[in-house]
Amino acid sequence: MTDQHDYVIETRALSKRYGRKLALDNLDLRIPRGRIHAIVGANGAGKSTLFRILMGFMPPTTGEARILGRDSQSLTPQDRARIGFVNEEHTLPNWMRVEQVTTMQKHQYARWNQQAFDSVIGHYHVLPEQKVGQLSRGERAGFNLALALAQRPELLVLDEPTLGLDVVAKRAFLESLLYSNAADDCTVIYCSHQMEEIERVADNLIILERGQLKHMSAPEDFTARVSHWVADVPFKGPELHTVPGLLEVQRLDGLHHYLVLDQDDGFEHFLRASGARNVQSMPVGLDRAVNAFLTKNHAAPAAA
Amino acid sequence: MGRPQPLMIQIATGDPRPIGKQIVDAVRMKIATGELGAGDQLPSVRGLAQQLTINPNTVAKAYAELTTEGWLESRQGMGLYVATPRQRLSEDERERRLDDAIGRFVNDVIPLGYAPDEVQARVAHEFQQLVPRKIA
Repeated sequence: MTDQHDYVIETRALSKRYGRKLALDNLDLRIPRGRIHAIVGANGAGKSTLFRILMGFMPPTTGEARILGRDSQSLTPQDRARIGFVNEEHTLPNWMRVEQVTTMQKHQYARWNQQAFDSVIGHYHVLPEQKVGQLSRGERAGFNLALALAQRPELLVLDEPTLGLDVVAKRAFLESLLYSNAADDCTVIYCSHQMEEIERVADNLIILERGQLKHMSAPEDFTARVSHWVADVPFKGPELHTVPGLLEVQRLDGLHHYLVLDQDDGFEHFLRASGARNVQSMPVGLDRAVNAFLTKNHAAPAAA
Repeated sequence: MGRPQPLMIQIATGDPRPIGKQIVDAVRMKIATGELGAGDQLPSVRGLAQQLTINPNTVAKAYAELTTEGWLESRQGMGLYVATPRQRLSEDERERRLDDAIGRFVNDVIPLGYAPDEVQARVAHEFQQLVPRKIA
């Protein structure tokens, strides 16, 4: 499994239909092994559906989904043991003690790595005799991550792992993920809406929208596709449907602000041809770029 | 063999410059102002990543860029060091960057309403502050 087609996740024409709604729309997604991949998408972009299918909890309507080279519809317990999953709920049995949960997991996973567990949990003040119910949300997240990494998974899926954590706990979570060595041999899929974290952790940015793959590259290459133009255009400005690559438009203090995708200096010519007197452009940050991209196709009530 | 020089830099998320670019800019600035001198050792990839709470791969890429541009050099098995200075840019590129920088400076300063003489004196003073460190 070291050839160049070594993908941890591979879908072909994957679709999932709920009644009249397509949650996944002919999705072709190939995520190569290694590194940290961030998946972003608005709510309803299909992330949860995708992972439910990949983990074999739900069949696709059409198409194919493979995880770690296996068909997701026929995963064995051994296959599942190669995949770690941490979600925002950090659901663990509240009545059990930390050491009891740890012992239980140790028996469950043949490849259990105590060192990995210790190196992650060392970032938190969690005591073996504490009840899970007594842990703070941040500590539960860390405990959950330690358990997942101690399985020595080949693939670790983190679904909004820091949702609801305070800044201190978020930082502890990122540190224990990035610097504990426990995740070194593991491909990480990081689903999050928090661009600040994505900027810090992600090697690769995957954007899903309405069940389709919209973009995949290093985060900075995506940011470079989006630019912010400010123009002094008389009256209403050009008709919006004629503006190339338009993601977002605002009129502020009489000036038109355009966020556009994949436009070079030609865009200045377009604005000047539309009567703009003064045109300036600047780059934007990842947060702004992704948000503009996702907002563009956001469902809105039909204009009156 | 000494320890690495601490690299006192900050990064900001949400900046139009990606984090890797912010590191490249900051290190170049420190070398240009003499705060980092030839032969100084840089923090390890992991150390700087941890200091900034970012992915080590981002630091590795920034270091690779600085090495390609000749600002840093690696010594086998010992880490990365500030390289002996040499002119790293073409004449045209130097000119262009100087023009850019002066343009930005003038734009910022004019609205403050100082007399040109005073501004020039202040700039000259700043340069005097830098120069000895660069030689030291």
